[in-house]
Amino acid sequence: MASEVKAIFEPKSVVLVGASEGIGEGIASPAFFYSLVHNMRRFFKGKIHVVDLGGKLKGGVKNLNQVPKRRDLAVVVLPSKLVMKNWRYLLNLMIKAIVLVAGGFNRQQQEELARWVAKRKIRVLGPNATAGVINTSKGLCATPERDFMPPRGGVAVISQGGAVGMAILDWASFYGVSVSKFASTGDGIDVTEADLLEFLTYDKETKVICIYLESVRDGRRFLGSIREAMKRKPVIVMKGGTARDKQDRIFAASLKQVGAIRVDNVEELLGVADALAKQPPMQGDRVVVVTNAGGAATLVADALSRKGFALAKLSDKVAKKITGKYQDINIVEWVDLGIDAKDDRYKFVLEQVLSDQGVDGVVVMNELKLSFLKPVDVQAIAEVAEKKSKGKPVVSVTVAGRAGALLREAVKGKNIPVYDSPEKAVRALDALRFYWKTRARVEKGV
Amino acid sequence: MAAAKKKVTEILNSVYKDGRRELMELESKQVLAAWGVPVNRTELARDLSEAVKVAREVRYPIVLKIASPDIIHKSEAKGVKVGLSSELELRQSFGELINNARTYKPDAKILGVTIQEYLPPAREVIVGALQDPSFGPTVMFGLGGVWVEVLEDISFRLAPLSAEDAREMIQEIKGYPVLAGIRGTPPADVGALIDIIQKIGQIAHEFSEITEMDLNPIFAFDNGKGAVVADARIILVESG
Repeated sequence: MASEVKAIFEPKSVVLVGASEGIGEGIASPAFFYSLVHNMRRFFKGKIHVVDLGGKLKGGVKNLNQVPKRRDLAVVVLPSKLVMKNWRYLLNLMIKAIVLVAGGFNRQQQEELARWVAKRKIRVLGPNATAGVINTSKGLCATPERDFMPPRGGVAVISQGGAVGMAILDWASFYGVSVSKFASTGDGIDVTEADLLEFLTYDKETKVICIYLESVRDGRRFLGSIREAMKRKPVIVMKGGTARDKQDRIFAASLKQVGAIRVDNVEELLGVADALAKQPPMQGDRVVVVTNAGGAATLVADALSRKGFALAKLSDKVAKKITGKYQDINIVEWVDLGIDAKDDRYKFVLEQVLSDQGVDGVVVMNELKLSFLKPVDVQAIAEVAEKKSKGKPVVSVTVAGRAGALLREAVKGKNIPVYDSPEKAVRALDALRFYWKTRARVEKGV
Repeated sequence: MAAAKKKVTEILNSVYKDGRRELMELESKQVLAAWGVPVNRTELARDLSEAVKVAREVRYPIVLKIASPDIIHKSEAKGVKVGLSSELELRQSFGELINNARTYKPDAKILGVTIQEYLPPAREVIVGALQDPSFGPTVMFGLGGVWVEVLEDISFRLAPLSAEDAREMIQEIKGYPVLAGIRGTPPADVGALIDIIQKIGQIAHEFSEITEMDLNPIFAFDNGKGAVVADARIILVESG
């Protein structure tokens, strides 16, 4: 089973099936088919076969029987009627897995598909997997959204809904959160979120798994697969449709029981995912705030207190080392580097506070306004944070929005999460702490 | 465990055989007792003379409740007397209870009454279980009375659950300080509650024919003194 799911993410050869004619609007329209072909030709490193039932697309063939057999994956951008009409020919190709992008299959059609799936050794993702599949490490960009290829990284995203899935990826690129794999599951007649979770659990590229759900299918198995995944990497769950769902309290409790991290919106999802992908879990509650703007640190301290964190008190030894080198650094509730702090100061102080036994994590504030700090200085912070030498997380934050964007740009691709509000930074630490606490205990229970 | 399983299966089968889906309190408590969940002593007495005899064994004060497979909401039927302290009170109450039941539901089959051990006042909690269509057997915990009814202050976990899960679900409710002990009151026996929650989880997990369990109230005594189920209701799925 796993090998067929593998064919969805890691195919060596892909058959793209669509029609340049005879289909009107909608996800199966020629425009989206062309975009899919374009994306694959541009990014994919393996073999591509294009089947255009309309016969117009250059480099494509008109009939399914012109395609060599035993390819790994077929991505089908056809309306339900044409899928059913060509289903036999598709099966005859002995393909390992099929992605059905379009939706609109009635119950009878879905049941027929499911029957075939049960009979043959094949896996089907969808139908209604409108956003398709992405694997950044293999250049697999099987999505009908033109030129949409997120930067490569450690965050995997599974989304039941295509539009929300795309929105998550869109925000991911906005926030510089880089992605390992993406799949939209749609109606899930065969491959479910649990199947993908099981695969991603052992996927070396994936450091964090994010799941967006609208409904829970086979709750027990889903939770079991989260529990298994949590032994290796964190799982973040966001669920839509909770307002209508009286059972949401049971869902919430069961997620807690298996140690999953639950978030309420896309921004929170990505903020938390970024931290979990880039920084180690947090082993305690004591946080040091290192800042170049004292006043702004107050807001971080407030946010920390609301989430049950404590401001760490530095040991005399570490405090002396810091003030011995920089006499004007003011160590109060936080470490105030002063408005003229540059990268050298940040680097030295960060290394010192991380070495303090009384510190479990660090929030670094980088205010660009009314200071001499430049975005490029933040490189030094990234360098220290990337070492993860003490197994303690470091997150960077500014209280200002535009500054947040500049800082993110400056450390793009580096392993330091950058936030544009204290609440987001503290929420990230909260998730890192939660992951540490739950990781040990998810190994027993249910 | 095997013996407990056999015993519970027997009880459930006899209820089905009787054409019912709802267990009487006595039967529900037998299920719980078979699984090692502490319940207050509860004995059936079919007539007054048997009631008098049983009450002497149970010892006064006692609780008297109507016993009828057709009356599930006993208080609603005015079918409960708490804290009867003498044979005289028992004799006066017995007929009254039977009459109340007949008025409440004239065609109810009345088996008699249960004579129950009276429990001293304690903090009251509720433990329940249900079969969730998506997640399967699920356990619920809350404080009794207004906490559950008005504030919906309850927590859930999937069954079966670890002791740690059970402890968390107790600590999760807003009313937890009431159990932990406030203003000098000693803490309640949380360990005993954890044990009950875990056992209810096991029963719910083991017997998929049980669609609902409601242990309400459970008397949670001070730490070290245990916890005892004072009333319980078990509902089964449609047979077949």
